Amino acid sequence: MSGRRKKAKQVETEMKVKITWKEIKRQKVLLFWSAIIVIYGFIFYYLPLGGWLMAFQNYKPAKGLFHSEFVGMQKFIRLFSDETFIRVIRNTLAMGVINLVVTFVMAILFAILLNEIRQRRTKKVIQTISYLPHFLSWIIVTGILHDALSGSGIVNELLKSLHLTKHSVDFFAHPSYFWPIVAFANVWKETGWNAIIYLSAITAIDPSLYEAAAIDGAGRLAKIMHVTLPGIKSTIIILLLMNVGNVLNAGFEIQYLLGNGLVKSVSETIDIYVLKWGISQGDYAIGTAAGIFKSVVSILLIVIANQVAKRSGEERLY
Amino acid sequence: MRKKHIKTLMLTALMTASLITGCGAGDGGSSDGKKTSSGGDDSKGVKEFTAFFATPGSEINDDNEIQQIIAEKTGVKVKETWLTGQTAEEAIGTIIAGGEYPDFIEGGGGMPQLYDAGALVALDDYIDKYPNIKEFFTEQEWDSLRQEDGHIYWIPQFSNIYGEEKACEHNDEAFWIQTRVLKWADYPEIKTMDQYFDLIEKYYEANPKMEDGTENIPYTILCEDWRYFCLENAPQFLDGYPNDGSVIVDPETLKVIDYNTTPTAVRYFKKLNEEYHKGIVDRESFTQTYDEYIAKLSSGRVLGMIDQWWDFAYTAGDAIKSAGLDKQGCSYVPLPITIDEGITNQWHNSGGVVNASSGLAITTSCDDVEAALQFVNDLLDQEIHDLRFWGVEGTDYNKNDKGEFSRTEEMRTRCADTAYKASHMCTYSYFPQWGGTSRDNINAMSPSGQASEFYDGLKGDVKECFDAYGVQTYVEMIGTSEAPGAWYPMWSYSNTITTDTDGGMAWTKMGEIKHEYLPKVVMAEDFDKGWEDYMKAYKKCKPEDFLSEMQTELDRRMEEAAKYQ
Repeated sequence: MSGRRKKAKQVETEMKVKITWKEIKRQKVLLFWSAIIVIYGFIFYYLPLGGWLMAFQNYKPAKGLFHSEFVGMQKFIRLFSDETFIRVIRNTLAMGVINLVVTFVMAILFAILLNEIRQRRTKKVIQTISYLPHFLSWIIVTGILHDALSGSGIVNELLKSLHLTKHSVDFFAHPSYFWPIVAFANVWKETGWNAIIYLSAITAIDPSLYEAAAIDGAGRLAKIMHVTLPGIKSTIIILLLMNVGNVLNAGFEIQYLLGNGLVKSVSETIDIYVLKWGISQGDYAIGTAAGIFKSVVSILLIVIANQVAKRSGEERLY
Repeated sequence: MRKKHIKTLMLTALMTASLITGCGAGDGGSSDGKKTSSGGDDSKGVKEFTAFFATPGSEINDDNEIQQIIAEKTGVKVKETWLTGQTAEEAIGTIIAGGEYPDFIEGGGGMPQLYDAGALVALDDYIDKYPNIKEFFTEQEWDSLRQEDGHIYWIPQFSNIYGEEKACEHNDEAFWIQTRVLKWADYPEIKTMDQYFDLIEKYYEANPKMEDGTENIPYTILCEDWRYFCLENAPQFLDGYPNDGSVIVDPETLKVIDYNTTPTAVRYFKKLNEEYHKGIVDRESFTQTYDEYIAKLSSGRVLGMIDQWWDFAYTAGDAIKSAGLDKQGCSYVPLPITIDEGITNQWHNSGGVVNASSGLAITTSCDDVEAALQFVNDLLDQEIHDLRFWGVEGTDYNKNDKGEFSRTEEMRTRCADTAYKASHMCTYSYFPQWGGTSRDNINAMSPSGQASEFYDGLKGDVKECFDAYGVQTYVEMIGTSEAPGAWYPMWSYSNTITTDTDGGMAWTKMGEIKHEYLPKVVMAEDFDKGWEDYMKAYKKCKPEDFLSEMQTELDRRMEEAAKYQ
């Protein structure tokens, strides 16, 4: 390991080039194109951040960003003294983590299982079918779920005909069912799609490794444990890192569309809070404050995850 | 291999292209609308405006026939868009954040936000120039529309009566029941909540299924989002008060009372709780969406519910008719229900009540306010008004020698047909309109108010039911009373308060708590415990802040009214 790192460092130093006019001239086309990207990024990613000022104002659309009164941290203070907001953070984190873990594990598991199928045709068919739900929008998925889990839906009919329950189960009336339903929906929709990247990582593994393992007497399970999994480890870690930053993006549509009064205490996410208080109630400042909070936490999460990966000598984002 | 490569490439290119054109079309549409709205005239010299109404509605076809006729007569055409899948406040909030407005807007509950954002054009300087608009309200009513800065920004469209009132429909909230239930019990007098549920229970016991074997649903409650009034506000009516919506006003002392905590509220929710455990209240009540609810009603399975007429009649009501379910007695009639006997109910109020909290407004994005107002003025012209609500003479209605309008059965069914509505009818339904009697002094402003027309058009089972009770209209079925006082209705104020004030904050929080706890209370194993938990959470919202703000408004309204006496 350390040998490889040393080599990488060497390459790095060799790559370092002194910035001279000549060099700039030589790379002018490259520089030109990168400049376009930088300008694009500045205009579309950094300029809009100016809107964050709103969070520190008592923002009124009629007065605009430049004439609204500044109130300092008042909106943040109100945000964090609001019980609902604290609950909303909890919901977002909980659903984010559950989704992350479940979809992650399922995708890897699915990719490995799919890879073990020997018949090419079957494998292709299964793969295609499994990633199709990814292209359905949430409104359709939630519609299907709502129907399937309703009192006269297929799930309840099944439970009743198997004599597992006497009355229909009101799946959407119990707060404790909500997170599992959301996790299930995510798994159903995204597993096939997420597995694609692992599948391609698996195909990149050198077949001679499998042959060598076979000669050493490894069975299928042993091959998975000692060749496939280590082979896709770097992919797994990079994707995990990227997804950790997304934990707070636990979703908006699904909770918004599946939620109802009874499960509100567990269904509302930060995004829904922003919509409700920021947009509906016209308090754009508090919506922005909640949004800032979300971004800051996401960045922190990524940095932390990246550091952890770095410490343990694994692949990392930067 | 190479071939395959090319194929994939082409496919990708195709998909990308379709994506781009997909977006492009959308963009083109809106920029198009923008262009025409900013003064662009099309070939026929018709000016086009855009309008957004923050309420669900159905869009009409671009080549709608009556819209075309109106455009020829007035030189103006309005492209209307409606709310889809959001609440009014969300839609309006998004529009404000975007900063680009349609020419006309009706923001519903989002109206105060539009005003705050400075998006609306003050209309008071214009009104005098347009006789039909001027005539629309009395001086006092116009004054009641003035906002804090003293200007008028919107024109409430509805509940305005010209001449004599001709109300036949009960376009309000009620306990509704299917006629078959009443018929089965030989049309009994049902006056209290207990009698109502008693009847439903007995009927359900005797007839658990419909004729085709589908199971009946005795009672369902719609509680999706803002439509949870079907669960929430019955206590005010049960106590014999009218729909002030957010509070009860004692007409003697002129004090506001919170209907959420009255003994009647406890009795009402306790009853629902009992009925829930008996299996009378639909178990899906609290999780169903509006669409699912309407589908349920349309199937004719639901024996009874609380709802507003406009919330179900034009969708489920029409569906019941076109499926022929009225022959089985699945149409709904309202019942005059109170908590105990001997209380006069006020489910129905006669006379138009101006809802000052929202209306049609013109935005700052509109570049020709005068043309826009001229159009509103033209729409109130009797000829155009008849076109909007009756249709084309000879095609949609007939006129006899005396000038009376009537429709044949065929015309009636056709006018209820959605495809025909989209291609032919154009009511501009969220523009100002009259109820009551036409300027010709013979007809009603719209078919639903024409007594003969209304009665002939009634579904068979409803007619039978009305005959049995000796009434002719829905209004007679439930009884009617005058608007209770100058303050009425208080909901037009609670609709406009925002979280900027303590009272508004409390109001929003109360809504949140009620959304969550009322279903829990109904489902609770132990009602008393459930109610206690609810009350604990409810008190935390500081309802007193809200009530005192309502009291201030009530006092203000009474003072305003005194000026005109």
